[in-house]
Amino acid sequence: MEIILILGAIALLVLFVVAQYNRLVRLNITVDEAFAQIEVQLKRRADLIPNLVETVKGYAAHEQSTFDAVVSARAKSTSASSLGEVAAADGALTNALRGLLAVAEAYPDLKASTNFLSLQEELSTTENKVSFARQFYNDNVRSLNQAVATIPTSFFAGLAKVSARAFYEVENPADRNVPNVKF
Amino acid sequence: MAESTNFRDLQSANKGKTYFLLASMGLLTWLVAYAALTYFGAGTTSFIVPLAVGIALVGVWGSYYGSDKLVLTMTGAKVITREDAPELFNLIEEVVIASGLPMPQVAIVEDTAPNAFATGRDPEHALIAFTTRILEIMDRDELQGVIAHEMSHVANRDTLVSAVAATTAGAIAILSDFLTRMMWFGGGRDRRDGNSNPIMLVVSLAIMILAPIAAVLLKSAISRKRESLADATAVQFTRNPAGLRKALEVLAADSTVVHQKSNAVAHIWIESPLDGQSVSKLFSTHPPIEERIATLRAMESLGPSQ
Repeated sequence: MEIILILGAIALLVLFVVAQYNRLVRLNITVDEAFAQIEVQLKRRADLIPNLVETVKGYAAHEQSTFDAVVSARAKSTSASSLGEVAAADGALTNALRGLLAVAEAYPDLKASTNFLSLQEELSTTENKVSFARQFYNDNVRSLNQAVATIPTSFFAGLAKVSARAFYEVENPADRNVPNVKF
Repeated sequence: MAESTNFRDLQSANKGKTYFLLASMGLLTWLVAYAALTYFGAGTTSFIVPLAVGIALVGVWGSYYGSDKLVLTMTGAKVITREDAPELFNLIEEVVIASGLPMPQVAIVEDTAPNAFATGRDPEHALIAFTTRILEIMDRDELQGVIAHEMSHVANRDTLVSAVAATTAGAIAILSDFLTRMMWFGGGRDRRDGNSNPIMLVVSLAIMILAPIAAVLLKSAISRKRESLADATAVQFTRNPAGLRKALEVLAADSTVVHQKSNAVAHIWIESPLDGQSVSKLFSTHPPIEERIATLRAMESLGPSQ
């Protein structure tokens, strides 16, 4: 009888440890996936830019400084690799694109062109996807960091080789609070 | 209602209330079974309770498992692809990323009333549908709010919750129907076997008659809580209560009602198609739309939240 009780207690303990361990590993993987999603959306946005710049150039050729800002921000964002770099380049490109679209406002012919309209829709959905991907990443980092810092999961963080992760912070903290960018 | 208007608090409050209501449903089933036991004795009860639960389970399980296909037929919705509505798909993909859910199937219902619904047994088999009218009259933000509300139903497994509620309510209805019939037609022969006193018999009778009504009330209350929960979860996804609030205002201002073929699927729409038909607030499957708008407005006043 005692044997059964002891074995049962051990089994429960093992199950408990496994559950905590798995929870941490799962959270960590979700954060990785969420970061990959940000990169996918940033890549999509970067791919849209050459086409957008060409289209705007066709109507507003002399706004060279705005184009240069977008092109250089795009170059930086495609070469960034670490979380901090990616986030900073992402913020810079978001701002540069805002500048470009503000320029477009001044050209009625451009705004009416079908090519620009479809690009605009693509760009606003991609911009929303980027910010939702950031939000999803940060939510998951928050859950992970909470698990790493609170009992009982905190006891197993070392064992699972899981540690607190950095939030994805774009340059301008206000950007993070506005998931819906309207152009 | 909790005073807090933060979406996280609203979510946990609504979840807590759902558990409480589901537990009440379980308690009600137990009460009916107990009433049957007092009235008819163990022999009849041990046969009839499993039978009623069985019938209800078979009936509901089939419609739960095939809910995506069943609802398509019942509402006349047509599944569409990206080419049919690229902008709608863009919006849905945005919410999919925000929620971390898999991409659902998308369908369109030809209807002059603006409305939308979600169904499917799990997130992998989810289906969200929109009427042609809602796509015409809503702007990007509003539609995003509606999509987020529907995806919240998927995330919160509301098809499962309503299936559980329907099973219990169904079992109670069948049980009470059986038992009252048996009473009229010479059943209850073994009632003298128990030492039950007359008061207990009267109470049992009352329970059997009133239980089905109570079950329907509980089922409607669960549905209302799930609607409020979906509104709160939608805000978690978009962090933009204004979008959904404006969408609900559009729905409230519009008096046309979906020409649906069956009342059986009334509870799945974002705005109840049975408005005005409801006997009372207690029986309605949705909270009053003004109340939902007020809750979202209170969330807006909190400012952007992270």
